[in-house]
Amino acid sequence: MRRLVLIRLAWMLPILLGVSVVAFVLMRALPGDFAQASAGTTELAPEALNIIRRDLGLDRPVWEQYLRWLAKLLKGDFGDSFTTHKPVLGELLPRLAVTAELTLIAGLMAMAMGASSGLASARWRGRTDWLVRGINGLFLAVPNFVVATLIVLLAGLYFPEVGIFNYTPFLTDPLGNLGSMLLPAFSLALAVSVTISENTRAAVLEVSSQDFVMVARAKGLRPSTILWQYLVRNALTPIITVTGLQLASLLGGSILIETIFTIPGMGQYLFDAVSGRNYPVVQAIVLVAATVVLLVNVLVDVAYARVDARVSYD
Amino acid sequence: MTERQRLGGGNAMMSIGLLMLASLVAITLFGTLIAPYNPSETSADSLAGPTAAHWLGTDSIGRDLLSRLIVGGRTTLLITFVAVTLAVCCGLVLGLFCGYVGGLADQVVMRILDVVFAFPVFLLAIAVVAALGPSVPNLILTIAIVYTPRLARVVRGPVLSVKRWDHVEAARSVGVSEFNIATRHVLPLIVSPVLVETSLTLAQTIFTITALSFLGLGPPPPDPNWGAMLSEARQFMELAPLTVIGPAAAIVFATLTFIVLANGLRERLDVASR
Repeated sequence: MRRLVLIRLAWMLPILLGVSVVAFVLMRALPGDFAQASAGTTELAPEALNIIRRDLGLDRPVWEQYLRWLAKLLKGDFGDSFTTHKPVLGELLPRLAVTAELTLIAGLMAMAMGASSGLASARWRGRTDWLVRGINGLFLAVPNFVVATLIVLLAGLYFPEVGIFNYTPFLTDPLGNLGSMLLPAFSLALAVSVTISENTRAAVLEVSSQDFVMVARAKGLRPSTILWQYLVRNALTPIITVTGLQLASLLGGSILIETIFTIPGMGQYLFDAVSGRNYPVVQAIVLVAATVVLLVNVLVDVAYARVDARVSYD
Repeated sequence: MTERQRLGGGNAMMSIGLLMLASLVAITLFGTLIAPYNPSETSADSLAGPTAAHWLGTDSIGRDLLSRLIVGGRTTLLITFVAVTLAVCCGLVLGLFCGYVGGLADQVVMRILDVVFAFPVFLLAIAVVAALGPSVPNLILTIAIVYTPRLARVVRGPVLSVKRWDHVEAARSVGVSEFNIATRHVLPLIVSPVLVETSLTLAQTIFTITALSFLGLGPPPPDPNWGAMLSEARQFMELAPLTVIGPAAAIVFATLTFIVLANGLRERLDVASR
């Protein structure tokens, strides 16, 4: 088990190296560079543009720029932002924390809503099942930014006293911060909870048709014991896997939802950086996001083996 | 199996999905003809609510919202259909090649795809489209780049097992060329999962396209599209809250179409859900 985790973690390095190459080359292969983007509409003489490029090392061959950047990165330095000339890491971390918080709250919310509705659906069948699946089918088709827009609309019309754009930093007011995260997290969680719900339902139904559950019923175990000890425990594997796999899409969605609720996360930072061709910032964000996705995949595999004794990777 | 069943009858989900799809295709093909007004034509009547002349009302500079919704749907759906077709074709070629040829080539391509999978889809889409610049061809290219790896993986899995079946061995023993085996004896057997995945990809693409447009990374104005319309409606929400409903409902309808279709196809073709 420990060997497996180490191997999987070691595999992340070549993949991240690939990601860094893609991010690096992609940004530089595009029309327009930072010098032009920062000049905007003002006409700068080619000499002036070249001075900006030389200062930032953009006049060097791409492979040389990449190796310089990589060498710094290995020392934990993501480089300086082209616009503010401050270390990217220092600017990124507080924003990353906000995005991570939103993603995490949304993930927990989705898991709670999805697992409970899926469980109810499989447990009571009949009308409950029909209702849950109908609602699921509809919610799956409502994109998170549409949910967010509708929430903003309804809140604005009927509850103007609820300030939905009042983002509060966690350190100044932890409770207020959680409160301001609830609606954005809900809009993110809705569609994801459907996927979790459907998978929970399928997993519980599959387990409940197996022989050992019939034996448990025949023995006269209490239904609640069967539900929690037999069904839920065995259905946990798919629930964990699905939630883990959805985390990547939650992370992408956070960026979108942040812009609607004006939450100061990575979203706006990324937009400004991409359109301004602020290469070090884009590279850092892409690398961090990719690392999170890969780490989550490893965690899912570990959780998988932990919960289900039948899974062995050796 | 009766003729009726073979044509997809007897599966309510599939029929409803096809009906919804037909209406989307009709909007895509005939959008500009159906629209009651010119979608870019302005009038003095701005931010008016629904009236007999303007069923969905007008926007901030007096353009007819119903016309913009129909013509905007045409843009959104056209990008979706073309982009997904492109992604499916590339995914089929790549997946078939990797799965069938196998060996080192397969390993190399799959490791490269691992790199692409490490990006969250939406983040990748933002980066690519913001970098290339928002335009219809660039959006199509972006969607194709983002979804090709996923489709390739869906194709590759079944190919790995089908290529070991007896009929493939039989074909090889009578001297059928490898290319013909791959395209005529393997490909037809993996169509079902690919069809289901295509439908799901269409639903996701509607999301990605409208979300990008919502952020201002869609087709450039003044041509309407659903994502941008929702974003415009959001700005004038306090003055004309009803203008949000049209684009929101359209996006949900289109997404629902492909999800219903995917479920119908899955049931019809008996593809195990993932």
